[in-house]
Amino acid sequence: MNPTRHLPHYAMILPFAVLFAAFFLYPIVSGFYYSFHDWNAATAPRFVGLANYQSVLSSRDFARAMTNLFNYIVITVPLGIAVAFGLALLVDSFTGAWANFFRSVFFLPVVLPAFLAATIWRWMYAPNFGLVNMVLGWFGVASVNFLNDTGKMLYALIAVDIWVSAGFNMVILLAGLKNIPQDLYEAARLDGASRINQVRYITIPMLSPVLFFVITYGFISALQVFDVPWLLTGSSFTAYGGRRSALLFPVMDMMGRAFGSVHFGEATAYGFILTAIIILVTAAMFALRRWRTPK
Amino acid sequence: MIASTCRAAILAASVSLLGAGAVSAQELQYWVYSDFAQGDALKLQEQFISEFETANPGVKIVISGRGDDDLTSGQVAGAASGTVPDVFMNGLAVGAQLVDVGALANIYPEWMAMPQEFRDQFDADAIKSCSPKPETMYCIPYTGFGEIMYRNLTVLEAAGIDTKTPPATWKEWYDQMVKVKASGKFAVPDQTQVFNSVASMYAIQGDKAKWGIDFASKKTLIEQEPMARTLQMFIDMAPLQSGTSRNDQATKDLFITNQLAFHVVGPWVNPSYEQAAKESGLKYDYVLVPGGTAGDHGGIKSYEIVGVAPGPNKAIAWKFAAYITEKKQMARWAKLLSRYNANAAAMKDPDVAALPLIEKSVEAVKYAVDVMPPYFAGTVPNCYRTAMTDMASAAADGQYKAEDGAKELIANLNECLQK
Amino acid sequence: MSASAASSTNATTGSAMIADLWTWRILKWVVAICVAIVAVFPIWWMINVVFADPGVPVSINPRLYPTSLHSGLSKIYTILAETEYLRAYFITIAYALLTILGVLFIGSMAAFEFALFEFPGKRVLFGMVMLSLMVPTVVTIIPTYLLVAELGWLNSMQGLVVPGLASAFGLFMLVQFMRSLPMEMIEAARLDGASHFKIYWYIALPLSKNAMVTLAILTFMRTWGNFAWPLIVAPKPEVYTVGQVVGLFNAPYSHQTVDVVMTANLLAVVPPLIFFLIFQRKIVEGIAMSGTKG
Repeated sequence: MNPTRHLPHYAMILPFAVLFAAFFLYPIVSGFYYSFHDWNAATAPRFVGLANYQSVLSSRDFARAMTNLFNYIVITVPLGIAVAFGLALLVDSFTGAWANFFRSVFFLPVVLPAFLAATIWRWMYAPNFGLVNMVLGWFGVASVNFLNDTGKMLYALIAVDIWVSAGFNMVILLAGLKNIPQDLYEAARLDGASRINQVRYITIPMLSPVLFFVITYGFISALQVFDVPWLLTGSSFTAYGGRRSALLFPVMDMMGRAFGSVHFGEATAYGFILTAIIILVTAAMFALRRWRTPK
Repeated sequence: MIASTCRAAILAASVSLLGAGAVSAQELQYWVYSDFAQGDALKLQEQFISEFETANPGVKIVISGRGDDDLTSGQVAGAASGTVPDVFMNGLAVGAQLVDVGALANIYPEWMAMPQEFRDQFDADAIKSCSPKPETMYCIPYTGFGEIMYRNLTVLEAAGIDTKTPPATWKEWYDQMVKVKASGKFAVPDQTQVFNSVASMYAIQGDKAKWGIDFASKKTLIEQEPMARTLQMFIDMAPLQSGTSRNDQATKDLFITNQLAFHVVGPWVNPSYEQAAKESGLKYDYVLVPGGTAGDHGGIKSYEIVGVAPGPNKAIAWKFAAYITEKKQMARWAKLLSRYNANAAAMKDPDVAALPLIEKSVEAVKYAVDVMPPYFAGTVPNCYRTAMTDMASAAADGQYKAEDGAKELIANLNECLQK
Repeated sequence: MSASAASSTNATTGSAMIADLWTWRILKWVVAICVAIVAVFPIWWMINVVFADPGVPVSINPRLYPTSLHSGLSKIYTILAETEYLRAYFITIAYALLTILGVLFIGSMAAFEFALFEFPGKRVLFGMVMLSLMVPTVVTIIPTYLLVAELGWLNSMQGLVVPGLASAFGLFMLVQFMRSLPMEMIEAARLDGASHFKIYWYIALPLSKNAMVTLAILTFMRTWGNFAWPLIVAPKPEVYTVGQVVGLFNAPYSHQTVDVVMTANLLAVVPPLIFFLIFQRKIVEGIAMSGTKG
């Protein structure tokens, strides 16, 4: 067991490790340091203990952002995955060129940078001029104010969100579907299982590792939702979250505290609170999976 | 300790590896609003720069345009890392925050060192806004605005409104709005969405002297009764508005396509409307915002400012800032954009004074309320603005009666300031 | 009566089954086409807004199809001529290419080790990198910015590129792929006396070509769509990326109307769209791979 035996291994990971340490670990450490300080970047940081964490947790905006986030996640994650799953089944039921065609078309929105998707939809939703209201108008529905009616804003966001992400999840699920051995379906068909039962008793269980990935990933990105609501509401660092903060989300609140009110300490504390939540959710997902798999 | 050692090590390593990427000392970064860095405005700015560069060999000025938000965030982040642009613009209302982060230098000594003749060119009140206490001056006031009301004459005429005399009072204005709505068009944008439009409406019905914050006692100056009257206007306007905020591009499009009758906003919107008038036959004009009583007028006013960052380039940066705000440049600038500015001497230039938009702006400023006073006294927290727009929206949504809303709002504002 | 009733039920179930099959088939097409329209229409609409005469009310021209080629071309020409769009294109492409090269090289070296060999500290190191996938970038963005500023890298290509090179996602993806490389080949090469780096260079890399190409494409998409980082780290107009130029048009106070904004947006969509049309199979496979092997 001589230590030089391992040297080539370390040499190969060195570039990655150095960059990772400098541009990920170091910022985390210094951010953690700032989260206990009152700091506006101009004057020297002043130690304040847990005050930053306290002021974030007790603030009205935090409560509102968390409520919005909860309502958003409860709808967007299951619905998004259901849509993606439906699309995957749909594409899977086609063969040859048509399967490829529909897969590509459904995937197209994923190609757009998020900032562009949001800008386009902002205009699609515009009252009167926007396409969505125009189409509704054909059916005699009065103009709906998607981006300013506090009762509808969340749904408008979720629609954009699913439009952007469904193709991405569909592709992953589709690959999972292809990995399911066909003879399982043959056997089920011989047993007279209906199409729905085939999905329920073969597709979903066989797909569960992939579904797990998609759901976990969906949760993590939903918890960090930022650009789309920011751009849909035309937010700025002095006013964000849309009408009556109906689309205020934690990351937006955090950015506002950093660049709007210049409380970098409070903003970094906010970031760590969020990170803790994300890690908790992920850990819970993994625990759930471990608990489910033995059966 | 570990963090700083690590930082030093990385710094040393990178310097030896790549060489310092230091910027030449005489290159000045100059940030302006994005609309000043487009088209003809950019051409004129570039001309100012080249004149200045010829007079000061060895100096290079790099102009870059950005939206309001990016200006503020870039300056704040820049201050944090010692890389604030040398000369930059922003709004007066953001001033206190920029002082807090150390982005704005005190230019009082440089200002006093200028000839009396230069200092006398500026509007005295505007200079006062930049000088919160003796021997302190944080900015040179630049372009300014008093809000005006754009009227789409096609929409008004179709609603059977006589456009010859603009509405003088809130009551007349409101009657016209109702008629516009009855004709199937939108009367106004949603005035509750943006702090500035709430302020603008307050200026119609409220007590203009009491619009502000007392930073010493951390209390709002706003009183319940005038605020209740303001909220009542939002409640009245709720069924008449377009649902887009006054800053939305969609609002401009509604106006241009004859779907919207009134748009109360600053002079920066005029170029879009002027172009639309040429291209698609938009018929519009601009008048003073109606007031609570005849002869008075609402709307807000404020200045954009030119600031200079502290640091090694301060002297030359000041020289450039003084150059672009000098009468000759300000007169050319005003002529090109038809924008009112703080250089009173330039405003007296007969060619400038005759421009209709400037004429109207000068008049509007006399009545308008300062958008976020007092300037440079303290940073207005975000929650103050949010509380204001939230309550305006909630009242418009019918969740509060005007009186209850005003009471609750004032409590919220004070709670926010005391945090 | 009962017999005929029975036979008729039989017949109905039979025909119902056939009808079922047909409705299912038709329904399938209807749904697929509807979804396709929803997926594509916003992009199509954006093109129509650009290629339409401005100022014509929606009631007259609902922008369902392009109406004026000339108007669209003149808008595109104006934007390319009057703004620094072309330079922004060039910078964004350089930014993307350098990032791709760096991510591939650095990531594949590390992935080679993590996937195929055992050495002390491996699990901890790899675990740490995987954990970083869960940390929201916004936590690190401000301290990273300060670090970059201190290094004097603001407004420079290295400032844009270097902080993004240690891509945890890239490493994860390559490790997933390299785990399936044939260990026998590597052992054989080692027995032949090939050095560690040579094994990586001549065996592991060529075998991982597929995953590398996929990662390159995904990295391109990411860098092209990155908005926040260039915005704060490269605030000088000489180093504006496409995202920033688009941002200028979208700023509320810019004197722009919807058609001009959409023109700027359209120009920004073109490269990723072309990229997608060329490489769509790779992109789709890459995303599928990162998900199914997790």
